[in-house]
Amino acid sequence: MNQHIQMIVFVLILGAITSALLVGVDAWTEERIALNQQAELQSAILDAYEIEYTITQIAAVFEEHIEIIEIEDKIFYYHRDSGSLSFVIEGNGVWGPIIGVLTLESDLVTIKRITILQEEETPGLGGVISERWYLDKYVGREMDPALIISRSPNLANPNEVDAIAGGTRTSERFEIMINEGFQSYIAVWHAANGGQ
Amino acid sequence: MKLIRLRYKKWFNISKDGLTQNNPIAIAVLGICSALAVTNRVENAIAMGLGVTFVVIASSLTVSLIRRFIPARVRMVTYMVIIASFVIVVQLFLEAYFPIIAAALGAYVGLIITNCIVMGRAEAFAAKNPMRYTFFDGLANGLGYTYVLVLVALVREILAFGTILNYQVMPDGFVNWTVMAMAPGGFFVLAIFIWIIRELTNNYELQQ
Repeated sequence: MNQHIQMIVFVLILGAITSALLVGVDAWTEERIALNQQAELQSAILDAYEIEYTITQIAAVFEEHIEIIEIEDKIFYYHRDSGSLSFVIEGNGVWGPIIGVLTLESDLVTIKRITILQEEETPGLGGVISERWYLDKYVGREMDPALIISRSPNLANPNEVDAIAGGTRTSERFEIMINEGFQSYIAVWHAANGGQ
Repeated sequence: MKLIRLRYKKWFNISKDGLTQNNPIAIAVLGICSALAVTNRVENAIAMGLGVTFVVIASSLTVSLIRRFIPARVRMVTYMVIIASFVIVVQLFLEAYFPIIAAALGAYVGLIITNCIVMGRAEAFAAKNPMRYTFFDGLANGLGYTYVLVLVALVREILAFGTILNYQVMPDGFVNWTVMAMAPGGFFVLAIFIWIIRELTNNYELQQ
């Protein structure tokens, strides 16, 4: 019996000490990790407008060129010089959430650039979704009436894009994510600005 | 004369053991999963190696410190809790200060928890030895893992990308060997390294 009590006491003490250590380290690194994630988002947006920056002064450059506009809980990143918009789109991938940034030209229909911030798709197949050479296929495509990601796209139609070879389910979910994100954000934007 | 006397010091022999005769990767063939995965670039290999070195030293020292109090029945669980805590510390540290490397290593930092080298040293050495020797054992095993990783990564990065630590070293006309960046490249290079190290240390697995 004595042995069992000793064991339980040991486990409790061990748990308490390790928890305290982890809480401490988490508190110490929390702020920097949040800043890093913010910098990642900012660099995705600045890259879309081809604005130069260094990692140390990214926040200042971002503030200089980009205006953050919040309408009905939706956050828009508005490029002052060109009138283009960026916003964060999210959706479910095959294995986990996909989070990315969609940047539109000032006509608010043509895709300027897409960057993926987070994905857990199958490496080598659906994982291609975060690679630049694949995302470059979306540049200049139009969201009107909706983007179609197809295995055999007719590239003469401005709203069709080539799907990922070997990543059919990822492509399907990516298509839903882009279109839903686009429609919900643009509807809010036009409602607030009285456009179109 | 001092060099000769070094051979009779315990800490020297423990260190030599981890680096050569009992090298965790080449001789014991532990921790192969992460060794194959992160050796496509030298910087990833260095970061992973230092991460494992830190975890194996820290967790072995902790196990050694409390070795008299650990109840025998829960000792494996105890090692796991200690190792997992240090791995989370490494993960948070990388995310905070080296976010690009953290992103490149991805899930493999978290998987240090299941790296057999760390668990193996805790059970085989730290649980029975005082802290000062445990430190050398952890350091030697961590560095033994690191240097094999870095050497493998050197070969793979040069052939796969034509670079070392992202600096171009191969001439312009060099055609990248894409296979070296993928898993098969890791198997080829690692197997050749294990062969070389086993030849050099005269380690043969004789049939009984």
